[in-house]
Amino acid sequence: MDTPASSMSRRSLLRMIGTVAGSATMYQAMSALGFAADSPYQGPIDLSGAPRGASVIVLGAGVAGMTAAIELRDAGYEVQVLEYNSRAGGRNWTLRGGDRYTELGGLTQECRFDQDLYINPGPWRIPYHHRGILSYAKRLRVPLEPFFQVNYNAYLHSSKAFGGKPQRFREIKADYQGHVAELLAKATRQNELDAAVSGEDREKLLESLRHWGALDKNLRYASSDAASARRGWKKKPGGGASARPIPSEPLELPHILNSGLWEGVSAGDEYDMQTSLFQPVGGMGRIGEAFGRELGPLIRYNAKVIDIHQDERQVTVTYEDTESPGTAQKATADWCVCTIPLPILAQIPLNVGTPLASAIASVPYASAVKVGLQFKRRFWEEDEHIYGGITYTDLPITNIGYPNTGFFSGGKGVLLGAYIWGLNAMEFTSMAPEERIAKALDYGSQIHPQYRTEFDNGMAVAWHRSPFAMGCFGMWSTASRAAHYDDLCRIDNRVVLAGEHASFLGGWQEGGVTSALDAIGRLHERAVAQGDKA
Amino acid sequence: MSGCPSVRRLALAATGVLAAAGLLGTFAVRADDSAFTSKAGLEAQSGAAIYGNICQGCHMPQGQGAVGAGHYPALAGDPKLISWEYAALTVLRGRNGMPSFALPAGQVDETRAVHLSDAQIADVVNYVRQHFGNHYKQLITAEQVAALPHPSPEPTP
Repeated sequence: MDTPASSMSRRSLLRMIGTVAGSATMYQAMSALGFAADSPYQGPIDLSGAPRGASVIVLGAGVAGMTAAIELRDAGYEVQVLEYNSRAGGRNWTLRGGDRYTELGGLTQECRFDQDLYINPGPWRIPYHHRGILSYAKRLRVPLEPFFQVNYNAYLHSSKAFGGKPQRFREIKADYQGHVAELLAKATRQNELDAAVSGEDREKLLESLRHWGALDKNLRYASSDAASARRGWKKKPGGGASARPIPSEPLELPHILNSGLWEGVSAGDEYDMQTSLFQPVGGMGRIGEAFGRELGPLIRYNAKVIDIHQDERQVTVTYEDTESPGTAQKATADWCVCTIPLPILAQIPLNVGTPLASAIASVPYASAVKVGLQFKRRFWEEDEHIYGGITYTDLPITNIGYPNTGFFSGGKGVLLGAYIWGLNAMEFTSMAPEERIAKALDYGSQIHPQYRTEFDNGMAVAWHRSPFAMGCFGMWSTASRAAHYDDLCRIDNRVVLAGEHASFLGGWQEGGVTSALDAIGRLHERAVAQGDKA
Repeated sequence: MSGCPSVRRLALAATGVLAAAGLLGTFAVRADDSAFTSKAGLEAQSGAAIYGNICQGCHMPQGQGAVGAGHYPALAGDPKLISWEYAALTVLRGRNGMPSFALPAGQVDETRAVHLSDAQIADVVNYVRQHFGNHYKQLITAEQVAALPHPSPEPTP
C-alpha cells in the first residue's frame, strides 16, 4: 500500500493540521458571534428590598421574559406579562401531533406525528454548563435526559466523495487521527522536529502518538487489531467456534483529506457541544410550558403590542387582543422588561433615546429552517444501528438528527431531517412547507435510501416566516456589536431589553436567561434607589 | 438556535470560517441542484431568480408582504418604490431585521449573510419595480448602484 506520507509534504501536513486544530480560528469567529462564550450564571438572583407597590410589565413570554417575571414576582414586584402567542415559551417550542402552525403568508400545517413523537423547531440541546436554564428546568421540575451530540456510528457524508456513500464517523475519526499520528511519528524519528522536541521528550511524543493514533509497533497506522478496536472490524469479535475477528482496512489519508470529511471530526470538541448535553423529556417545549404554568394568570396571551410609551412616572403599553383586532387596550407599570425580538420591536413605536433605537434597528435575524420527518419505522436504528446523535452532510440539509429517546420502541420515529442556515435557509424559506419537506426527503434519501418507502409525514418551520419572531436569532457581527451592543443592554429611563439578542450566547436559551437576570438586577437597583411608591 | 441553536454548533456548516481563513475545502461547496444556489452558483442568478429564492421568503411570492407580531412590507403597489434609490439602499444596507445584502466579505462569513453584486442588486430592484403591480419603466444599472453608499468594511481589530 502506498504510504500516504509519500503524497504529502510536511508543510502541507502542518497546514492541514492547522486547519483542523484551527479551531483557534473557528473559535475566534464563533466567539465574535457569541457562540463559544461561557455562561455568566452565578446562581439564584437576590432582589431583596423591592419597593412597596412597585410594578413591572414584561413583554414576551419566552425564556427571557418568563425568567424575569418569576424572579420579579418572587421579589415582591407586581408583574404582568404580555405574550403574542396563545402559548408560553416563544422560541422554546415543540411541535407534537395535533398541533397547528400557521406561518407568515398564511400557510397552515397540521402536525400528524404519533403520540410521544415531536420536533423542536427552535432550541433542541442544552450543554451541561448552561447552568442558568438548567437550574430553571430543575426548579420547575422538568425532567431531563441525555442529548447525544456525537454518535460514532452516525455518518459524515459528502456528496462528492466516496461515491456519495456516507462514512461512519468512527472510521473517519480513527483513520484521520491514525494517519496524522503516523506522519508525526515519522517526522519525529527523522529528527525533523528537533527544534520542538528532543531527547527524552522525543520518546514520550512517539509513545503518545502510538497511543493516540492506534499505531502498530513500527509506528504505522495500518490494518491491525489496535486500529480495528477504534474504527471497527471487518468481522467483529464474538463468542464460539467461528468467532475469531478479522481486522478492517483503514481508508487512505489522501482520500480522507480530499473528501473534506475531516471537518466533521471535531464537531463534539466545541465547548458548547461537549458531553454532557441534555434535552427535556417530551421536547424542549416542556420548559416553556412549565414556566407558563408557574406564572399562570400573570401572562396575558394573544396580546399583540402596538405601542410602548414611557414618561417620568410610568410605562404605558398599548396592545391588541389578536382574537378581536382593532380593540386597543392599555397596560401600565413603573418599569418595563422588553424581550420582543428586535425585528418586531423595531417596528413598534417606542420612545427611547437614539442610541437604543439605533441598536434595535441594527441587528438582522438569522435565517434558519428545520424539517421534522416522521417515518413508519425507526430504520436508522433497525437497519443502521444509529441511536441518537447527528449525521453531518455537505447537502443543503446539513444535519440529520436522530431522536435521542424512544430507542428500540419498534414503532414510528421522527427525525430532524434538515437544519439549514444562510443562503440555503433563505431558499427553503421561499418554498411552501410541503416543498421544503419534499426537498429534505430528496436530499436525505441520498444518505438513507429507506426515506423513499418509509416516509409518513412531516413539518417544516422556516424562522423568517415565524409570526412571533421573524427570524431565528440576532445575528451580530463584530462590527455591529462594537457599535451597538452596550446601547442595546443599557436601561433607557424605565425600559430595559433582555433576550438572547442581548447576550454573547446568541441563539442559546442560556443567553436569554442570563440576559434577563442581568437586566432585572440593574432595573431593581434603579427601583430601589427611587424608593417606595406613595 | 441551538439553541439554535446551533447555532454553533455545526462544524460542517462553518464553511464561512474556513473560507475566511483561505482554506476553503471541498466541503464548502454545496451540492449542485437546479433549485438551489451554492455561493458560487448564486453569482449567476438574475433578478427574478434572486427574488424567487431569497426575497419571497419574507416578502412573499406575490410581493404581498405579511403581518404577524410585526410585518414584512408589501412590495406590491408600494409607492416608495418610485425611488429606485430607496429600494437599492434597502437591499444594500438592510433595514431593521432585514440583513444587508452587500456586506464586506468578512462580515458575510461571520453572519451567514448573502452577498449580491451591484449588478444583481440593480437586477432585483428592476424586477421588483416592474412586477407585483409596479410599472416603473426606468431600468437602473450596476454603475448607479455602485455610486450609492455601501456598508463599510469592519475596522481591523
